[in-house]
Amino acid sequence: MAKKSLSTAPFLTVASAPHMHCGTSIKGMMSTILLALLPAVIGAVYWYGMEAIRVMALSIATAVIVEALCSKIMEKEVRVDDYHAVVTGLLFAFILPAGAEWWLVVSGSAVTMVLGKMLWGNFGGAPISAVAVGWAFCIVSWPVYINVDATMLNTTLVNPLTQLRYFGVESVADASMYNLFIGDQLGALGAVQVGALLLGGLILLARRVITWEIPVATIAAVLITGGIYYAIDPEMYANPLFHLFTGSTMLSIFFLLTDFTSTPNTRGGKILFGLMAGFLIILIRTYGQYPDGVLFAVLLANMITPLCDMIKPKPFGAR
Amino acid sequence: MAMWKEFSKGLWAELPPFRLLLGLCPTLAVTTTAENGFGMGMAVVFVITLSSFIVSLIRKIIPKKVRIACYITVAASLVVSVELLMQAYAYPLYQQLGIFVPLIVVNCLILGRAEAFAGKNPVHLAVADGLGMGIGFTLSLTFLGAVRELFGTGYVFGVEILSGSFEPVEFMIAAPGAFVALGLILAGMNYLSIVKAKRRGEPAPENPSTGCHACRACAGHK
Repeated sequence: MAKKSLSTAPFLTVASAPHMHCGTSIKGMMSTILLALLPAVIGAVYWYGMEAIRVMALSIATAVIVEALCSKIMEKEVRVDDYHAVVTGLLFAFILPAGAEWWLVVSGSAVTMVLGKMLWGNFGGAPISAVAVGWAFCIVSWPVYINVDATMLNTTLVNPLTQLRYFGVESVADASMYNLFIGDQLGALGAVQVGALLLGGLILLARRVITWEIPVATIAAVLITGGIYYAIDPEMYANPLFHLFTGSTMLSIFFLLTDFTSTPNTRGGKILFGLMAGFLIILIRTYGQYPDGVLFAVLLANMITPLCDMIKPKPFGAR
Repeated sequence: MAMWKEFSKGLWAELPPFRLLLGLCPTLAVTTTAENGFGMGMAVVFVITLSSFIVSLIRKIIPKKVRIACYITVAASLVVSVELLMQAYAYPLYQQLGIFVPLIVVNCLILGRAEAFAGKNPVHLAVADGLGMGIGFTLSLTFLGAVRELFGTGYVFGVEILSGSFEPVEFMIAAPGAFVALGLILAGMNYLSIVKAKRRGEPAPENPSTGCHACRACAGHK
């Protein structure tokens, strides 16, 4: 009886802390990320047409359905309405070629959700970037079907990274940075919309969904490490800006390396983490087996997150 | 009946790689095909049965302080004989397994059974225990190898199962696939234990795969 009267007329409410909420929610942050990804979606549709829409829609649908199914099986609350599955599915589609087979999109997206998110609990549990997990699974399993050059045969765009890998630095020496910047290059459908992704990253920074440390440190490390190689021998190694504007570098810098759960929390840790990631990107590009190994760099950088989290200010009075 | 009890525990209740989590190195490394898993398992059956037999025979004359060295010596001699036998009669398999045949010496399953069981029990029980553990190990490796081979190539024991439009998931026969497959099998085992416990009306075990009762090495075992 007493309960009933309380709920209808809360005159004096008694509750435990916290009493004030700043208003941010996972749903709100994910909506902002989706907004930030919108320019890149438009760019992808502009350069690759309906094929890009097909891959993105398939990937998002699979991610949402798989997350809902997993939550049911694990007897947990279904929380697909926080849009995290949508963001993950879209980001996974961004690193696929526009001509990817439907089964590759579906199985890759499902693996992204299961191995990258749901097996670790749910949102907030994964120590590694889910998208990079899905990509690594696909590239180890079906190297041909996820290869941009093998799946996109009827296109006039040129893949600068394959050129660099197989024809040496002269073949990309006259590549215009402006063309690379607006997305005039062959690559994964969303990852090469470099300018659009940069705009999206700036939106995220402005809306304070991400902080500046990781993007700035990663860009600095890419430029510095790439610059060192370029200074050693410009005839053998590509321009550092070229590395920044090709492949999945920009996507990783703003959307994968700033993932909430798999990156450090403290300022010093974030800077170290970003430097490590940028350094690895250039190393893998220079010596690796794959033309674009940026997502391996993301996975490896995620491995040092626990170490980076140890760099923290000493609390006052602690010994 | 005591012999049957010691023999059968290795087949399910204390299944070496999936329950005791012993001998994981060969479990992960050589199970790219069902045939490799089976061959590795048979080599281990041979070594572990004879090693349990010999260790149990000489358990009274081994000084307590150097017992580990003695167990390793026994296992090493047996492994060398397995290696020579495989070179003579199963050379392709020997080439497939490579370094993992000599590495049976340091397989923790062999040393674990010698230390935990054969060094304390009479010969007939030790042999039953070693044989059961070895056969359980073989079955587990063959199963894991079959799963990985099926999804990784579409074949099992060289017989085509999945064909047509199936694209082999090469991830499964690569190294990370071994970890993922093993993890999923362990999850399945734990799920089975929980379902069984629920059916018996007991509370679900918090962590069904590990726990003191699985290992007989220390005094914590009832």
